[in-house]
Parts: sequence; C-alpha cells; structure tokens
Amino acid sequence: MKLRRRSILEEEDESINVSPLIDVVFILLIFFIVSATFVTLPGVEVARPRVKNASSLQKNSVLFALSEKNQIFHAGKSVQLSDVPPLISQAIKDRDKPVVIQVDQWADATMLAKLVSEAKKVSPSVSLATLKNR
Amino acid sequence: MKRKPTSFQNEQTEINVSPLIDMVFILLIFFIVATSFVNEIGISSSYKDSNSKTDIERPPLSFNLPGSGQVLLNGNQIGLEGVAPKVRTFSTYEPPSVIIQVSEGAKAGLATQVMDQALLAGAKAVKLTVVAR
Repeated sequence: MKLRRRSILEEEDESINVSPLIDVVFILLIFFIVSATFVTLPGVEVARPRVKNASSLQKNSVLFALSEKNQIFHAGKSVQLSDVPPLISQAIKDRDKPVVIQVDQWADATMLAKLVSEAKKVSPSVSLATLKNR
Repeated sequence: MKRKPTSFQNEQTEINVSPLIDMVFILLIFFIVATSFVNEIGISSSYKDSNSKTDIERPPLSFNLPGSGQVLLNGNQIGLEGVAPKVRTFSTYEPPSVIIQVSEGAKAGLATQVMDQALLAGAKAVKLTVVAR
C-alpha cells in the first residue's frame, strides 16, 4: 500500500505545472486584443518626404496613399479622387477617426492638394505621413 | 489510509485545462497576426475653410510652387530655406495663415517641406491649393 501511494505521488510531481504558462498567455492575449486596431493599410509603399517637425499621429486612422505615379490607394486598391469622400465617411462611420495620407515625395503636388481638399470635406483632421529628418 | 479514496476523488474532479489552453493559444496567434502596428509620424495642416472677413483684412501669406521646383513669394524666388524667415517676419502680432499654391509638375515632397517649414516658423494654419490656370 505504501509503495503504491508513493508512486502515484511521484507521478503527479512529474507533470509540468501549466498555471504560470496560462497566466502569461492570458496576459499576452489581453494585450493583443486591446492593441488590435485593425487598420486597413493602403497596400503601396511610398517614399515619404522628410520634414523637421513631425509629430506622432493618432494610430487608429483612415489611411490613403498617393503613389509616385499619382494614383490614390486605399485598402489595397487604386481608387479615384471622387471616391475618396464616400470611402472616408464609410470608414469613420460615427467614430472620430482622422485621415492620414501617405504621400510619395515625387508625387504631383496638385494631386495632393486635391486629395487633401477632398478628404477635408468629410473629415476635420487630415494629416500627411512623413519621416523624421535624421 | 482511510483518506485515500477522497484524495483520489479530488484528483478526478480537477478540470482539464488543455482544451482551454489550446483555444487561448489560437486566439493569441490570431490577434498577433491581425495586429498591425501603424506608427505614423507626420504633419497636420489645420485650416479653417471659412470665408471669414478677417481673411480679407489680413491676406494670408501665399507661396507659389511652380513646376520647375522653385519656391516663389510674390514672384521672387526664395527657396526652401527662405520660407521660415518670411513666415516669421510677415506679421509682428499674429502668426500668419499660409497658402501654398501648387502648379502642375510641382513635387509633393517639396510642398510638404514648405508646409513643414511654415509650421515650424509658427504659421497658424497651412493650406494647399491648386493654381487656377
């Protein structure tokens, strides 16, 4: 009897205690749930202009990209200038999301001006994504 | 030795957590993959698009960006470095509003840099407009 009991106890000791693992995994899970914002990226890589007084922009934003070839991208697709205001109002719904335009430094400035003024029609906050100067 | 059955029963009633861990792991991986950290820095051009009378009283500073890549103020070439001093000295008691008029062929990078310089010099608001031909 004594021998059997001991062997059971030993077996239990051998199994790994998973409670700390679960704790850590839960903390990671909660962190990622909270930080998940589900931003739809424009889907094109642009060469952002370098400026001096760039400030951090709000993370949860509606992103547009203006490529080198003067095409406007949103959520991986090329869109027309006239489609921009409905796309923004669809994306922001009732929440107050700012619009961020990723502009290529070799894009045409007239196109940028038109895009900004279109975006301003529906969103009060329109920013240009840049890089910090060195 | 009499206690042994109860201790055995206790072990039996312990909750099996393995399916829970599996599910939590799957959720965790989903959220790791789905999270895209967009960390943009940039500049905001705040311009109240009002046709207020004060604008007529004090006309905003208007820079011109022709297609040749120059920066003009009242027809004089000032260059990118000249933007900030002009904005600073434009008005002594009030930071000016700045309008950047861009022409076909001007580069967006230059326009952004002019906006940046103007904002750096304390411009109240910056607006991009297209030159009407």
